[in-house]
This record gives sequence, C-alpha cells and structure tokens, in this order.
Amino acid sequence: MNEPIISVKTYAITYVSLLLLTLATTLLAYLDVGPLNTVLAIGIAVVKATLIAAVFMHVMREMMLVRLVIAGAIMWFVILISLTLSDYFTRAWFTT
Amino acid sequence: MSETIATGKPELALREQFYTTEQQREATTLGMWVFLASEVMFFGGLFLAYTVYRSGHAIAFDQASRDMSVILGGMNTAVLITSSFTMALAVHAAQRGHTRALGWFLLATILIGLVFLGIKFTEYLQHYWEHKAPGLDFQTNLTDPGAVEMFFVFYFLMTMLHAVHMIIGIGLLTVLLLRTGLLTLGRDYHSPVVITGLYWHFVDIVWVFLFAIFYLPGLHLR
Repeated sequence: MNEPIISVKTYAITYVSLLLLTLATTLLAYLDVGPLNTVLAIGIAVVKATLIAAVFMHVMREMMLVRLVIAGAIMWFVILISLTLSDYFTRAWFTT
Repeated sequence: MSETIATGKPELALREQFYTTEQQREATTLGMWVFLASEVMFFGGLFLAYTVYRSGHAIAFDQASRDMSVILGGMNTAVLITSSFTMALAVHAAQRGHTRALGWFLLATILIGLVFLGIKFTEYLQHYWEHKAPGLDFQTNLTDPGAVEMFFVFYFLMTMLHAVHMIIGIGLLTVLLLRTGLLTLGRDYHSPVVITGLYWHFVDIVWVFLFAIFYLPGLHLR
C-alpha cells in the first residue's frame, strides 16, 4: 500500500507550531507598520495553511497528481485576484 | 476486543469498481482534492470581493474590524486547529486499525467542532446586540458607514458559509462515528475517514484566512 502515514510526533509538532503562529500573528497585528500589517497577516496565514496541507492533509507524502490539482487551484485564484486588481488599481474606481 | 482489528466486513475493503486497493486510494483521494479545488473557487469569489472593497476602503475596513472580538476569534482559531489535530489523529488511528482510538478521536473532533460553532454563535449574538448585523438596525458612528456595513456583510456571509461547512463536516463525522461503532471502518477500509479528514482540514484552512482578514486588521488601531 502506498498510503502516506505520518507519525504522531510530526502531527504534534505541527499542532504546536500552528498555535504559536496564531499567537504570533495576533501579537504582530498590534504593531502599526502600515501596509506591512496586511502582508504579515496574509503571509503568516499562508504559512499556516501550508503546514496544515503538508502535514495534516499528507501533501508532503502525497502523489504528484494531487499536487498538480493544488497547483491548479492556487494558480486559478492568483489569476482571479491579480487580473481583477490590475483593473481596480489602474482605473479610478474608488474616487471618494 | 483487541486493539488492532480488521474491519468487520473485509469483503468491503476493496469496492468492486476498483482493481487494487492502491487504485481505490488514489481515486478517492484525487476525487476529494478536485472537490476541494472547486471549493477554492467557491470561497475565492468572496475573498476577491472582500479584497476589492478593502483596497477601496482600507481605513473604514480597519476601523470596522475594531468591533470584532479578537479574544473569541483567537480562541476559535485555537479550537479549530485543535479539532484538526484530533482529526489527523483519527486518520492515523484508522490507518493503524486502532478502532477504539478512531472512535474517540472522531468523537473529540465532533465535540470540539461544536464548541467552535457555540463560540461563533455567541459572537453573532454580540454583534446583533451591538447593532452590527447588516439590515437589522445597523448603526455606526464611523465616517464611512456604507463601507463599515459592507465589512460586516462580508464578515457574516463568509463566516456563515464557513459555519455551514462546519455543520456538514460534523454530520459527516457523526456518520463515520456510527460506522466505526458498527466496525465497518478500520485498517482494511478507511477511505471515508481519510477524505472526510481532508475536508475538515480544508475548512480549517479557510478559517485561518478568515481570521486574518476580519479579526487582525483593526488591532493596530487599539
């Protein structure tokens, strides 16, 4: 059987890391660093999501086909956001 | 009952439409991931709409976010991560054929999921009393009231959609728990546990982003 099995220890380390990252992102949000606040919040959320996917969802041991599906999902989302914002940022939609 | 047992119905371990258990595992896993990719599109549209409004009304959104309870939101994030951890342990127990442990971890995941929904409902009530529920006598004294109300429209819509996913997940887990009790899930056949786990973790990932976009932006103004 090629089923990915991950040790309880790895799960536990991931769990504690996720809790610490939640604490870190909350505390960092109290600092006023301008636009960097958003970058920090989303950046740490991406790290947390990656940890959950890699370990809890077994992606680190999963077959290539699954990774391709994930890459497709992310790519679609990036296109959606970037093409839409390229319009909103280059034409004055919000003039208030 | 021994700790390690095979499923009560080993003839069900390999379903008739598959040649090998390996093929069965790959097909179910891939199918679930394709569904999750469609879920990314489902939530993606809402995240896009939020991003557009946020980029146009950044200050109003940050101010609106001050009315969020970071204590309850942070607690709920920890609660949901904990449920993901117990779900991962449930999958692990299923893979090892530890049926009793599987049952306990499924039960723990269900209960922790219900705690999450309880805290979420408390927050909703709180917003309602504070006149922060759009359409239900919404009030704010901030300078851009329309954008502030829009923040709460996104907040309610996205967290409620997330909560619906949680309720569906708890339903799926309850079925798994019953099937574990009937001994039709275990070492030989546990695909349903694995793919329900994938779904549960995905819902956790969605919450990680919801926490980042609704609870954190107002903190630097405090």
